[in-house]
Amino acid sequence: MKWGIFFCVMVIIGTIILYEWKKIKTYPKRDKITFFILLIIAGALSLFDLPNLPGPVTLLETIFRPFGNFMESL
Amino acid sequence: MDKGRISSMQMGMMMYLTIIATAILTVPSITAKYAQKDLWLSPIWASIIGFFTVIIVIQLSKRFPRQTFFQICEHTIGTLATKLLGFLYFTFFLIASGQITRTYAEFIKVFFIKTPVSVIMISMLLLSAFTVIAGIEVIGRVAQFFFPIFIFSVFIIIFLLLPQLEPSNIFPILENGLLPSLKGAIIPQVWFGELFLIVFLLPSLSDSKGMKWGIFTVLLILVTFIITNITVLFILNQNTEFYIYPFLSATQLVNLGDFIESIEPIIIAIWILGTFIKITVFYYVTILTTAQWLKLSDYKPIVWPIGILIVEVSVWGVPNLMVNNHIDITVFPLLFPIMQTFIPLFILGVAMIRKKSKTLEVH
Repeated sequence: MKWGIFFCVMVIIGTIILYEWKKIKTYPKRDKITFFILLIIAGALSLFDLPNLPGPVTLLETIFRPFGNFMESL
Repeated sequence: MDKGRISSMQMGMMMYLTIIATAILTVPSITAKYAQKDLWLSPIWASIIGFFTVIIVIQLSKRFPRQTFFQICEHTIGTLATKLLGFLYFTFFLIASGQITRTYAEFIKVFFIKTPVSVIMISMLLLSAFTVIAGIEVIGRVAQFFFPIFIFSVFIIIFLLLPQLEPSNIFPILENGLLPSLKGAIIPQVWFGELFLIVFLLPSLSDSKGMKWGIFTVLLILVTFIITNITVLFILNQNTEFYIYPFLSATQLVNLGDFIESIEPIIIAIWILGTFIKITVFYYVTILTTAQWLKLSDYKPIVWPIGILIVEVSVWGVPNLMVNNHIDITVFPLLFPIMQTFIPLFILGVAMIRKKSKTLEVH
């Protein structure tokens, strides 16, 4: 966990909310919820040491392992 | 959702830059690894996927004119399946955009050794985000503006390389039969499959020449691919596979009368132009997918949050360039065709069968 990255992302998220606040107020509820959920996911992900954490790409690599082996055997 | 309109020609230019920008960077080397001296033949086989994808997408849009991709899905495979498919495409485009931004950043890092990758990615995504917010019309015009610069620079470089070319490097042709060149086509077909993105641009077209320009774009991409591969082969011979960026290494050899030399900054500059279009188009499609999948009223509010997610996904589970290149070979050659060619093909098949059964019911 790297606090520096987390605080940087928090500052960016804060800036985005401030920048979009005026416009976001006029949008319907569905848009508002999506906007905030995406920001929360982004904020939560920044808590982890992402480069060394298995991610979606690692999952895909596991699913496609037979194909990966095939490509490497070519 | 986006009220802007682009012409079919602008769509073609967008797709050309989207595909070629990163393709001439790394593809010759990966192709050469499998095809050795037949690397110039591989794009021909790979382009079959390109033609196939364009035809599928155009057929879909002919059956459901002016409908977005997810509306077409809802008509054919139902609401629940569309929601699931929407999630798949959302993650797919997020991963694809992240991967493209990462590849760009790793390339720039060769020249900015001490700059962190994230700074390069964020600066590019910031610019792309402003373009995406401005809408499809602006992206189309930017592409139209950059297209001649890109084409002109690539061909002027090949022209300057003419004295260095060794055409005899092409022999022996098909030394080990067709198989090596077919193996080499597995990687370039990923790039040709990206023409699937026109499904998101077709509803914004102001004319109905989508088919013509789609096919023309594939042809133009094919020609550029073959020309760059042949140039690389004529200069680097069988060593192509040992360079990460072969076309760049070839460009460093330009020397015209000891006066015009070291012109690789030009090629870096045009790559940044092209990659900017590529990142912007993928970013735009990611945003559009999310907005259409969740049925939002506007796509603008989610541009910035998705930008952060793209940066995070691009580093998630990918600690360095080696892992990035490994994934390029072991995951994407299968993931991209599934998402970009086979799922649309399946939807087209369902649409055709349902139409047939409907006409049968009428009779």
